[in-house]
Amino acid sequence: MTNGQPFRFFMMHPKIVILEWESEPSDLLLSELISFQKKILSQVKEVIQITQGYCSLMLFHKNKIDNIEDYQVRLHRLYTSKYRFTHKKGKLWQIPVCYHEDYAPDLKSLAIQLNLSPKTLIEKHFSAQYQVYFIGFLPGFLYLNGLPEALKIPRKEQPNPHVPRGSVAIGGKQTGIYPMNSPGGWYIIGKTPYSFFDPNNKEPCFAQAGDAVQFQSISKKEYLKLEEQRIKGSLKIKPL
Amino acid sequence: MIEVLYPGLHSSIQDLGRLGQQSLGVPIGGAMDQNAMHWANRLLNNPKHSAVLEMSFKGPKLLFHQSTTMVLAGADMNARLNGLLIPSYSTIEIKEKDLLEFGNANRGKRTYMAVAGGFQTPEILGSRSQFEGITAEPMLSKTKLIPFDVMKFKPSKGARISPPKAASKEIIISVYQGPDFHLLPDKAKNELRQNNFSISIKNSRMAYVLEEKLVHQIPSTWTAPVIPGTVQCTPDGTLIVLMRDAQTTGGYPRILQVSDDGLNCLAQKSTKDSFQFQLRAV
Repeated sequence: MTNGQPFRFFMMHPKIVILEWESEPSDLLLSELISFQKKILSQVKEVIQITQGYCSLMLFHKNKIDNIEDYQVRLHRLYTSKYRFTHKKGKLWQIPVCYHEDYAPDLKSLAIQLNLSPKTLIEKHFSAQYQVYFIGFLPGFLYLNGLPEALKIPRKEQPNPHVPRGSVAIGGKQTGIYPMNSPGGWYIIGKTPYSFFDPNNKEPCFAQAGDAVQFQSISKKEYLKLEEQRIKGSLKIKPL
Repeated sequence: MIEVLYPGLHSSIQDLGRLGQQSLGVPIGGAMDQNAMHWANRLLNNPKHSAVLEMSFKGPKLLFHQSTTMVLAGADMNARLNGLLIPSYSTIEIKEKDLLEFGNANRGKRTYMAVAGGFQTPEILGSRSQFEGITAEPMLSKTKLIPFDVMKFKPSKGARISPPKAASKEIIISVYQGPDFHLLPDKAKNELRQNNFSISIKNSRMAYVLEEKLVHQIPSTWTAPVIPGTVQCTPDGTLIVLMRDAQTTGGYPRILQVSDDGLNCLAQKSTKDSFQFQLRAV
């Protein structure tokens, strides 16, 4: 905690403020961050956008902030004010993943390093439930919390220059899905037919911060069927 | 319409980008040198967000299928209209079948071309700025047609200004302290204030990696939001200046934030160019 305040207020640019919490990421902090964002967006009309990290928020303002000290006090008051949003429970999404070796180039080497059988590794991965903390890095890339302890591993020393879209991977303390072709330093253990970012959709990414995600193991045959539906545009994604 | 006969080294349609979409992980994007973009649009009386063509290092070869008025701004690419050199920062009348050719960039790295009313490529998530995975094409490619409005806006005929001092000549880049600046050792803070820094060969619309390193022991942080102009410092001391197409979040300490003017200046610099940071208060 900074000066007895719940968060640190930092002006990074004349129009941009960073609010930073000193604690570790947690589901409790996440729900605080989500509800504070809603408060700010409804009460502080100068704010045009907020982006979120594990323990921080970035506030974008329409114009240069004039009275910084007053503004700081105003935000702290708003944070501690009793005025609360009824926190809607996030949605739960089931994401089909094919862990077949054709889509999992790093599964075997990762299993050896973790001292697990590939089968146990996969089971641990799809048995857990993950919390969507925020979206960042790439359009539609979900930062997921909840990777089982046994699956944590430092990211690869040499990043892979071409990770195909839909790849499901593990790196550091996290698991994630590559929404588009990209370079990446995580171990690829499977692939999902779901699209996590479509710029032509009204809602380009179906999930949002506060939702939860669960993986469901599917066969290669099922994967190909769903992939075909996705390409045709007939694959509908609904929360559980 | 403009037909692209040769796309140049890296040309793309750009406007002011996609501010408002960052919670989906969408980069802000937009023109690298927004000061040059501003002048190109202003001389045509275009709205300030009108899409322009950004050309980097070596420009394209373009064939006009319609008449219009245009303005060039930013770096000088020895633009020739039907073989004759034309000035920047001045309105130029274009007729159907005119051929516009650009050479290599001088006095900067990026040139901007605005046409009356702005380019009318599809607007996706509130912007026409080209970006991989968002627009149909990540940059300009051969044989493509770029649509524009024919005289929807009345350009100001004969408008021109004398070219401003080339941004590439500016060696002072003004910056603010980043949220993790205070964690740096004093020696590193002084080096940031006093030393020259130069741009390595790893530079793109996404980020410029600098040659010089900084000794520090700041641990990597929990992934947090970043914006164009954020200067990150990796565990081995490498400095990365995020540019317009930067990702929306990052896990490296954010030690500086380049000012808007500084970012426009850096846009006109490239490999081996050097500069000094000048810290200023927000």
